[in-house]
Amino acid sequence: MNMWLKFAIQNTLRNRRRSIVTVSIAALGTAAILLAGGFALFTYQALAQAAARTTGHLILGKPDQFAKDEDVPLRHGLEDVAALRTALLADPAVRQVLPKVEFSGLISNGDKSTVMMAAGVDPDNEFAVKGPFLNMTEGKVLVSGSPDAEVMLGAGLARSLKATPGSSLTLLASTTDGAMNAMDVRVKGIFTTGVPDVDKRLVYTDIVTAQKLLVTQRVSTLGIFLDRMESTGPVQQRLAAQHPQLTVQTWMDQAFFYKSVRDLYNRIFGALGLIIGVIVVFVVTNAMAMAIIERTREIGTLRAMGTLPGQLLRTLALEGMVLGGVGAVAGAALSLGISLMLYVVPVHMPPPPGRSEGYPLNIAIDPLMYIVTLAAMVLLTMLASSWVARKTVHMPVVVALAHT
Amino acid sequence: MDRATLPLPPVLDVQAVHKTYRLGAHTVPALRGVSLQVQPGELLALTGPSGSGKSTLLNLAGLIDAPDAGRILLQGADVTHLDDARANRLRQQAIGFIFQGFNLVPVMTVAENVDYPLFLAGVPAAERRERVAAQLKAVGLQDHAHHRPDALSGGQRQRVAIARALIKRPRLVIADEPTASLDSHTADQVLDLMRERGHAEGAAFVIATHDSRLTRRCDRVVALLDGKIEGASQ
Repeated sequence: MNMWLKFAIQNTLRNRRRSIVTVSIAALGTAAILLAGGFALFTYQALAQAAARTTGHLILGKPDQFAKDEDVPLRHGLEDVAALRTALLADPAVRQVLPKVEFSGLISNGDKSTVMMAAGVDPDNEFAVKGPFLNMTEGKVLVSGSPDAEVMLGAGLARSLKATPGSSLTLLASTTDGAMNAMDVRVKGIFTTGVPDVDKRLVYTDIVTAQKLLVTQRVSTLGIFLDRMESTGPVQQRLAAQHPQLTVQTWMDQAFFYKSVRDLYNRIFGALGLIIGVIVVFVVTNAMAMAIIERTREIGTLRAMGTLPGQLLRTLALEGMVLGGVGAVAGAALSLGISLMLYVVPVHMPPPPGRSEGYPLNIAIDPLMYIVTLAAMVLLTMLASSWVARKTVHMPVVVALAHT
Repeated sequence: MDRATLPLPPVLDVQAVHKTYRLGAHTVPALRGVSLQVQPGELLALTGPSGSGKSTLLNLAGLIDAPDAGRILLQGADVTHLDDARANRLRQQAIGFIFQGFNLVPVMTVAENVDYPLFLAGVPAAERRERVAAQLKAVGLQDHAHHRPDALSGGQRQRVAIARALIKRPRLVIADEPTASLDSHTADQVLDLMRERGHAEGAAFVIATHDSRLTRRCDRVVALLDGKIEGASQ
């Protein structure tokens, strides 16, 4: 082993109690940073997947669909969807293409009418691709090709209209020509998205029913589902080149909730990490400062024997590195243990603001985050130790030897 | 006279050095025109009361301080105002130190303490191992090589300090009150060891001391008073 490193390790063992306290604080600080970072990272991953599952990894539409408001429904909608869908499915990275008709209007039970936000979807493919993205509270999900006009209601909307599976309701919306059209529908199921405000307005129906109501063959957008998240960028470029007359947005372009949560968490956890990092650096700095003051006379002796200030600075920096490094590795092990334990012993978090359902607490284990955090801890503690040692190692030898 | 018969220059040649310290608003003259020479293998004792300038003279001779005036020559070379790097190199190669409080590194073993100057000088590991073993045997501590200093008696620690000072075969050894922390019997042993090892390694010793038993056994005694040489005796 390198003599300087061995000397540094031996020096950390001089005052074991102080070293244990320093290493413990460095470990707890590192674990706190990694756990907070892992929580934020898991949240980002979960929200990103949810966003991509809701809209599709890519959303294809006419440019005005994304840029302008519509005077009448589907003014900027896509035509000849079947041919377009076939062309899109030819790309090897495209797993599914789901048409969507988005419209708004009124929904009534005969006694009471209320505003709805509706989505016409291809039920079989939609639910096959997206999986259980809705929590069905009553009834069943829609199926394609049903002879009856059917809808699924958000739980809040169903409660407002006193609707249950089997109830008859009427949808009222403006057609693509601007005329009003009404259609009787039967309630197939009731769901919750976990967001009460959305559950008070949202209606799912078959795309055929939606197009009949709006008297059109157009769809608002095509949601393109890819084999994996990482394909998003490359496929977007390919499709944009193949369909220059259309706009291809990514899930990120429409993930306003994801972006706002990410911005908020980055600030919160960034500040938290900075504070914890500063505390750890201060603790290591303080421990090193005490050790160096106690060893001033010894530093003078070593200097008298011909040790260069740079050599002493190196060994003291290594000493800080040992304290910070051992603490950081212990903290990483602690963080890893807690993260793995959460998969075995789940902990459920309460619903966040604006939501009706909690979620399981999970901590992402990201090797890059671990490497960067460990490297930062080691580097910072080395720099902090060098900084506090620089004055003593350059002190005149006579002064250092006379230190009591 | 041919080159082979030329007399060797003194190991240390101090020429009319002055040194003044500043204590707050006051200046305290520590050395006032001190001159002295130390010959190879000589054991020179510096005596005098506290404040007479012994430690200051040792510091200047050991190149850990610089005089305000005068010259210091080490083996004939002027080392009065060397820069830090060159003074450091000379201390590393040519000067050994023995301190009153031993000043061993407590986390290092006896062997590691003795090895340290060789490590600094860049001596290969195999040679270092041999020389450390030989030096520890010479000071009678071969069985304590892997002990820490705190497991040794005061006399044993000073033996380690002597071994550490002599391991690099210095021309000059600076010893500040080397027997002050030792009982008389141990002090005698340490002095014998310094004399024996000094002669064996060809090193000159400059020893600051109050100990009259020690001064009696040195080759020469120089007495300092108020920063001047008051007298010298063989």
